[in-house]
Amino acid sequence: MKKIHILGIIIIAVAIGAIFTTLNNTSTYASFAEAASDPGSEFHVVGKLNKDKEAIYDPKIDANLFTFYMIDNKGMECKVVLHKNKPQDFERSEQIVLIGQMEGQEFQASDILMKCPSKYNEGQPTAVK
Amino acid sequence: MEYIGEHLGIGKVGNVFVILSFVFALLASISYFFAAKENEDAASWKKIARISFRLHGLSVLGIVSTLFIMLMNHYFEYEYVWHHSNREMPMRYILSCFWEGQEGSFLLWTFWHVVLGLILQHSAKNFEAPVMSVIALVQVFLASMLLGITIGEYHLGSNPFTVLLREHPEYSKIPLFSDAHYLANPAFDGRGLNPLLQNYWMTIHPPTLFLGFALTVVPFAYAIAGLWKKQFNEWLKPSLPWTYAGVTVLGIGILMGGAWAYEALSFGGFWAWDPVENASLVPWLILVGAAHLMLINRNKGQSLFTAFFLAILSFLLILYSTYLTRSGILGETSVHSFPTAGMAGQLLVYMFCFVILGFALLIIRWRDFPKQTQEEGIWSREFWMFVGAIVLLVSAFQISFYTSIPVWNKLFGMNKAPLKEVVKFYNNWQLPFAFVVTMLIAVGQFFKYKNTSIKEFLKKISVSFFVALALTFLVVYITKFDDRYFSILLFSSIFATIANLDYMIRVLGGKVRKAGASIAHIGFALVLLGALISTSKKDVISQNTSGKDVTQLGKSFSNNDNILLTQGDTLKMGKYLVTYIGKRQEGINIYFDVDYFTKDESGKLVKEFSLSPLVQTNPRMGNVAEPDTRHFLTYDVYTHVTFADLETLLEKKKETGDEYATAKNHTIKKGDTLFSSNAIIIFDSLSVNVDKVKYQLKEGDIAVEAHFQVLDIQKKYKANPIYVIRNNSIQPIESRVDELGLKFMFWEINPEDGKIQISLQEKKSNVRDFIVMQAMIFPYINILWIGCIVMAIGTILAILERLRKTS
Repeated sequence: MKKIHILGIIIIAVAIGAIFTTLNNTSTYASFAEAASDPGSEFHVVGKLNKDKEAIYDPKIDANLFTFYMIDNKGMECKVVLHKNKPQDFERSEQIVLIGQMEGQEFQASDILMKCPSKYNEGQPTAVK
Repeated sequence: MEYIGEHLGIGKVGNVFVILSFVFALLASISYFFAAKENEDAASWKKIARISFRLHGLSVLGIVSTLFIMLMNHYFEYEYVWHHSNREMPMRYILSCFWEGQEGSFLLWTFWHVVLGLILQHSAKNFEAPVMSVIALVQVFLASMLLGITIGEYHLGSNPFTVLLREHPEYSKIPLFSDAHYLANPAFDGRGLNPLLQNYWMTIHPPTLFLGFALTVVPFAYAIAGLWKKQFNEWLKPSLPWTYAGVTVLGIGILMGGAWAYEALSFGGFWAWDPVENASLVPWLILVGAAHLMLINRNKGQSLFTAFFLAILSFLLILYSTYLTRSGILGETSVHSFPTAGMAGQLLVYMFCFVILGFALLIIRWRDFPKQTQEEGIWSREFWMFVGAIVLLVSAFQISFYTSIPVWNKLFGMNKAPLKEVVKFYNNWQLPFAFVVTMLIAVGQFFKYKNTSIKEFLKKISVSFFVALALTFLVVYITKFDDRYFSILLFSSIFATIANLDYMIRVLGGKVRKAGASIAHIGFALVLLGALISTSKKDVISQNTSGKDVTQLGKSFSNNDNILLTQGDTLKMGKYLVTYIGKRQEGINIYFDVDYFTKDESGKLVKEFSLSPLVQTNPRMGNVAEPDTRHFLTYDVYTHVTFADLETLLEKKKETGDEYATAKNHTIKKGDTLFSSNAIIIFDSLSVNVDKVKYQLKEGDIAVEAHFQVLDIQKKYKANPIYVIRNNSIQPIESRVDELGLKFMFWEINPEDGKIQISLQEKKSNVRDFIVMQAMIFPYINILWIGCIVMAIGTILAILERLRKTS
């Protein structure tokens, strides 16, 4: 067997390893119900902010604690405890992705991603300032 | 309706240039194709081809100039001009407007191809026809991205000259356009350039990066030409300097992007393994691999197939990354949004055409490759260079595979979400590759081509090895480097630096001219070393002030890295004491001034510096936090605001500032301490010796004076409210500390326990502003930037040396 073949086998092994760990390590998008059925596991939950309920952030007590209510894409509402600062422009968000896990009735989120509305992003031609 | 004042003529001119550039590119490609046949007609085909490509170049120049004229004159009747510029914007950012949009950036790319093509027409000699045929074909596809014509249901390209704002489907029904004189309306303005891009890095980063992208077309075209004309070895010599140039420029372009992210974005670092960053890193890694294999083949005739493969692949990966970042596919699964102009299909067709062209030709020609007579010896330089290139390939594969998750999701109907700790995932995966590559960089040049006496090799390398080992321990000691897994890379990158330095001095005798490779390798090792130390020893000095331990909730909740700073307070943060001074507004930016102090020997506060991280109230993207960084020789202090109350800006404060807020009552005894929002108040004593004249007391009044010490950070004040009983009623005399906006009233004495009741009022302006901030220290990040410069110098020297050899 030539050296090149040994090298080839190693490469293939590493490449398969890369594929395998990538597919194994990723979490999947889920709803609150799915997250609740498997507490302790990490999920990405996509949804919208419930603007009718209060979002509480008091940095003087804890700058890394923010609670609000989110409605997931299946329509289920859940209280969210985010262990981070309140993101800038939170109220304007049109879609939210939470990363975290369910604990009891609350979703404990360690990170948040937001999408802002495209209209806001784009702006319109106007002559009014 | 007849609209008044529109400049429709210039758009027609631009559109003619667009069509001409497409037609001449097509003509150039076809005629160069026939010119490459080398029959009796070839010479006349070549003539046509040359002229066509030059006319194509002129047309591209025409497009560029027309678009510039439109931008500079604010012709907002054109959607592109309205979309990307406005009147207020400083002229120096007009360049950024040009390439902010999809069309402009394709134009920039096309422009660089024209420049390269015109140089190659002179320098490529025998290879001119086949190489230029390929480049002109690439131009055909790029030019089609600007055509903006509709064939049946299908839109081909997007043309900045034909899309008028009032005709744009999204805006056509807007009342503004019911006015024939809408352009004369003084309030009508462009949407403007995204303020985040109004940064000097953004004027130089895109053209550099796109030149890097463009340069990959040269080795690609040469490789195709080599396969096509069966000149399997001849293509290497002329294309090597171009490949080196690609490595240099693309590398600098990528790192400039990192510098911009570090300066202007608040994700806390210079590299986040973001899909957009990865999309340009992967082709660079492949190009570096290609450059090394081409060099082996040039010198020893080995690894021919892999050299071809990588040279072709790096350009294809540029196309793939264009697809990833421009088609909107990343935007569907991640929340990072990318602009789309409905070009996904076109980009895919474009990509597949070149994939098929490149790989089909490679497979067809494979049988005709010169047979490799002997295998590389295990102690030969070419063998280890080959291994290094393969490691780069595998490393690129890992990055690319993970970045492509949205593509896999779409292809296989999966629903995979991106990892939370993406950076850690990539770092852990890439570490072994980086280790092997740096080890190879260290030893590589000490191997000779063909065969090396292993005894001599060990003798030569041992000095560097032990010096590097000692230095590694020293660095571990100085930086308190405690991650064992990553310390192997610490060693290998120091080893690579030292060994190449040694090679330069002892083997090359310090001849800088010949030391391009060594210097470039030192630069690369320094980049890794700087990235490694600054990232793994990154110290978040802002800490959670709540005292609650969030880590109890789980490992992922240890992000207690924000500090709350109230205006005027001084808090300890790392080795500094910090004070939030206040905020100020400049245009759309709101700056938050924070002073940094240290204590000198006598315990006095000494101001070291100020940082003003800002929040940009970006009309396009909402509020964006931008960091402010203080650079020192051995470390950077990097800060950004994570939360601030932007609604209560300065004007509100003025209205209510002088009023007193509701009084708060306190019942206290001697020695007790009270807190106002800006001071500490200590109740010292009571006395009955009240100055009767000063306080206009009458006979028969009973007066008791309370003595308070009022302490803020800098000064000590006194407050002496007086309790007065006159004619059986309590008529207290207030005491104010105007500097601090405090008012004291003394209401009651309880003679039994000696307690008194006072009320304390604060001015409303005392309700102080606060910010939540994140601060981190990046140690030795300058090694990384120095590494960039060293790497650039090294590759430039290597290009010059190669050109010297060629001529």
